[in-house]
Amino acid sequence: MDTPHPTGAPATPPPLGEHLRSPRLRAAMLVQQEALHAARAFLRGEGFTELLPPLVGPVTDPGGRGAKALDVDYYGHPYKLMTSAILYKQASLRGFPRLFYVAPNVRVEPEETATTGRHLVEFHQIDVEIADGSREDAQEIAAGLLTHVTEHVWTAVPEILRELGRIEGDFADIRAGKYDVRTHDDAVSALLAAGHPQNPDGEIDWAGERLLSLESDRPFFVNDYPKGSRGFYDREDPDRPGVLRNFDLIAPHGYGELVSGSEREADYATIVTRMRESGENPAKYAWYLQEARDGMPASAGFGMGLQRLVRFLTGLDALWQVSAYPKLPGVVAP
Amino acid sequence: MTALSTPGFPDGAIRARARNGTAEVFPDATTYGTRLYGPSAGALPADSLDRARIVPPVFMPQRLEKLIDLAREPEFTDVDLGSRVGGFTARLPLYLSAFGSTRAGSGDLAVHASRQAARLGIPMVIGENMIPVHGYRRAGDATRSALLARVEAYLDAAPDGAGGVVVQQSTEDADSEVWNLLYSDPAFRPLLETGRLAFELKTGQGAKPGLGGMTVVDRAEAEQLARRFTVRKVLDPEGERQLRCATPGTFTDEILRQQLRFMRNNFPKARTWVKFHPGRDIAHAARTAWSAGADAVTVDGAEGGTGWAPGVFLDHVGLPLAESLRRIGRPEGCLLAAGGMWEGGRAVRALALGATAVGLGRAALVAVDEDPEHGLERLVDSIALELRLLISALGKYTVAALAPEDLWWPDGHPSHLAPADAPPLGVTDPAGATP
Repeated sequence: MDTPHPTGAPATPPPLGEHLRSPRLRAAMLVQQEALHAARAFLRGEGFTELLPPLVGPVTDPGGRGAKALDVDYYGHPYKLMTSAILYKQASLRGFPRLFYVAPNVRVEPEETATTGRHLVEFHQIDVEIADGSREDAQEIAAGLLTHVTEHVWTAVPEILRELGRIEGDFADIRAGKYDVRTHDDAVSALLAAGHPQNPDGEIDWAGERLLSLESDRPFFVNDYPKGSRGFYDREDPDRPGVLRNFDLIAPHGYGELVSGSEREADYATIVTRMRESGENPAKYAWYLQEARDGMPASAGFGMGLQRLVRFLTGLDALWQVSAYPKLPGVVAP
Repeated sequence: MTALSTPGFPDGAIRARARNGTAEVFPDATTYGTRLYGPSAGALPADSLDRARIVPPVFMPQRLEKLIDLAREPEFTDVDLGSRVGGFTARLPLYLSAFGSTRAGSGDLAVHASRQAARLGIPMVIGENMIPVHGYRRAGDATRSALLARVEAYLDAAPDGAGGVVVQQSTEDADSEVWNLLYSDPAFRPLLETGRLAFELKTGQGAKPGLGGMTVVDRAEAEQLARRFTVRKVLDPEGERQLRCATPGTFTDEILRQQLRFMRNNFPKARTWVKFHPGRDIAHAARTAWSAGADAVTVDGAEGGTGWAPGVFLDHVGLPLAESLRRIGRPEGCLLAAGGMWEGGRAVRALALGATAVGLGRAALVAVDEDPEHGLERLVDSIALELRLLISALGKYTVAALAPEDLWWPDGHPSHLAPADAPPLGVTDPAGATP
């Protein structure tokens, strides 16, 4: 499998009409359609129920890495467009112990992410949550989902993938379900050894993640991110304070992160404390904290970036090439 | 000049400096030869920091080093006042403190102060609650907020490679996502690209330790703000004027540590500052912040603040700046001190006790009130001259060379009673140690 190959495409999208008429977008959308079909079939087969996610709310995922939620004036109340529906996933668990969304999300990402090839302001996630699940349960579903979707697209539309320059043999590891696992600590050490100035207390930065992804021939999980790099809902390891029971799934050959997931905090007092640790005002999370007080099930879950998945399958350079209506960070687009 | 007044603060002296600049470092020159000079009447020290005398030694090995370096006798003009302040390059060991969202601190005066701070090449801190109170950019007419006006004034005037802009965020600001908003705003790109943007986590303030920000609002504003802030009718029975309170936020050492890590994680191109009120555990707080990667720790002494505060807090609450600095001991990172700064003597004392730079708050507002165009620049010129005079008199030629040995406490300042867990202060010659 090669690295994202140059397609001679400009770094930013052409005018929307031209983009929508391009054969390359058509090919990507046919792959996306098959990927969505396969994802739904796989998750339903695993006993998950699909719900449709909310679009606005008094709070949304506070997320991280400098992205901002868009504000909405909702009958005079300051509401947010969903950056992710994680809080609603947790709240749904008592009625729907295994659920998923194909969720549209909006994040006003910092302009510096416009050139990563991996960020769009509007994007979609296949968003999965498992009541009483562990990190390992979530990773098993995430790996199974990626394997199943890959298998399906190579069965359903192999000629499209070949025309885009993809080589079937390069997906053999994924189709055979072979995934590696490493820890955040180990990833930081590898990056520092390679001369990359990675902050050990934080998220793996974009350039570092690309380096790790380029070095690998098969997808791999990164476990145990430090507290302070992720949202308040990622559960802290009770045996290792400061370490979160979470993970990313990184695609090989430079395509980078496809999935973020974790076990979730479900204990009310811990959630309030973790909110303060991430600088949040608990008062604005009133409805969610009431759910936590009433007893929210423990859970684990993840979000798989749909456009990132399709970019990986198609081998295209940039996320905007696999979005019909792309909005790049910092670029005002229709 | 407006009706801005600052009871208990040397308003007249600051205004004189804003008019006359370095001339005010000295007695009126026209009286030379006709008047005997001494300490001015009523010049009682405001706090223990002001009781310390600055005490040059007779023997000055560092002056010899400078003499060898220059191959001539060093002069006060040879003192290098350039400093690294919270990750920024500053031309002077000074910065413009936050004014907060009070009326005095968020109008035209603040914009004038911003422009002059930029020309001086010193960092500027913009206070909390600007956006929840004043808005940012209203949808539709693209009206620029008070915050953006200050940033634009600063950017227009800032020299290349010097200064920086620091933006605070309170609990209420976090609801408005102030840092996220600025970090993704193209208007802040020039600051980010030149490494001159910092975010300051504000955990308290000198004027009212343990409380959040307070302002006085009229009835209409009160109704508008009531959803985001606590607003109380404690000022008059009818509520014509009401008290708007922000919460101070809850901190433990773990909450502070994680919030700082979160800031560094989310805003990797911005510097990370922390401001503390003069709490009794200030040494623990400062150490926690530095070890979590803070680029600067600001200590706001109980003498500080431009904002509205209950009288009982102004007169009775919080550690004086000198005691705060003593408890911190030798700083493990960049330490910034604010509170009652307006001339070179107090600034030198704070620098000798470990501060990297000192903040100008009220004094800066008074100076621009006196002369909006150049008042702050003249005030700072006068402070810079005093700093050069004082530091060279101590036989030293950089700000960093100042040390506790340069001070003497007539009433036995407890600096020799440094906390057991603090490393000894930077005293190299026991004979020169404080008594």
